[in-house]
Amino acid sequence: MGVGTQQLDFAEFYRGAADECLRAVLVSVGDQDTARELVDEAFARAWASWRTVSTHPAPKAWVVRTALNAGISRWRRRRREVPVPDPATLANPPAAGGASARLVDPRIMAAVMRLPARQRQVIALRLILDLDTARTAEVLGIAPGTVMAHLGRAMAALRHDLEPELQQENRS
Amino acid sequence: MNDNELITAVRESVADVYTVTPVAHVISRGRAVRARRRIPAVAGTLAVAAGTALAVTTLLPSGHQGLLGSGHPGRHLATAQLAAWTVAKQVNGDIDITINQLKDPAGLQSTLRADGLPVTVSFSGPPLSASCQPDDTGRDILSAVAHFHTSDGRAYLVIDPSALPSGTGVSIFDEPGAGVPLPSPHTPGHRQGSGSTPPAGITGPLAIGLVFASRQCTG
Repeated sequence: MGVGTQQLDFAEFYRGAADECLRAVLVSVGDQDTARELVDEAFARAWASWRTVSTHPAPKAWVVRTALNAGISRWRRRRREVPVPDPATLANPPAAGGASARLVDPRIMAAVMRLPARQRQVIALRLILDLDTARTAEVLGIAPGTVMAHLGRAMAALRHDLEPELQQENRS
Repeated sequence: MNDNELITAVRESVADVYTVTPVAHVISRGRAVRARRRIPAVAGTLAVAAGTALAVTTLLPSGHQGLLGSGHPGRHLATAQLAAWTVAKQVNGDIDITINQLKDPAGLQSTLRADGLPVTVSFSGPPLSASCQPDDTGRDILSAVAHFHTSDGRAYLVIDPSALPSGTGVSIFDEPGAGVPLPSPHTPGHRQGSGSTPPAGITGPLAIGLVFASRQCTG
């Protein structure tokens, strides 16, 4: 495979996977600017290791995992909190949040961000990236049973948070 | 609300988010990532010594003693010297390269090949052709093949051809915009030429990597 082919294949992969990866990372980190930066970095690393990534059984999962790892590294470097917005702020998003802030549903995002980090990662991989339990477990380095437990708890918490609001919305 | 409704709600909550970064930008950033992975010392230190052009402008064939000594403590068997770079083959087979300016990559390439090194040299970014396929080898192997060395305030890239894995060659290229600043023209040990301004177009360090050897790529 020549460099020209490498670029072609990577570009095809990027066009097909970038949006989905961005959404998965967004659900995990909660902030669009941070998610975009991490996903850009992860895709750059994917290009640099394309011979490996292109044969990975789940290259999108590789990108998301790399983005999340990059976020952790950045947090460690900067010695500050993981850049997750305050859930209280998200629950009442400012009106002047910018065009990009309006791209997400603030109520659901706020509910997701109230979940523990590991549950958010499971939501990102299982629901947004549509990975199966085994692959999610492999990507996160945890047991499949733990994935199912995190997913169950996350779904229960989200339902508890969102059901009254969504039911109210459906009635009106 | 059943599971399907909840899953749909979560998915739809971010469905309007799209990436806006062009793929060309990602690839460009990927090249910088790849360059960073290659010999860290090279990326950190082997930058072009701007404004140090020597007066000699004639390429001497390998085997000639250079007009100016490079300052390397080792004994030179053969030295080819140009305004922009010098190449010196050592007794133990190592090849020392000093690059002062990003000029005449073809001359550097042919000189190194004449010294028996399968190599491709590019001073206009990483070699991008179907015949030059990067070999994403481990850093340990690359460090055995090439390392950075300083002596008397001068910088050398030392390549050990015997450490090259079979079927591979060396790629030397510049990585514009990788963010490593050029050394000051007043750096001790660097000869100050008539022009102290960095040459136009030189904005980043050199990088070195391994490629699959082929006649088209590495000679």
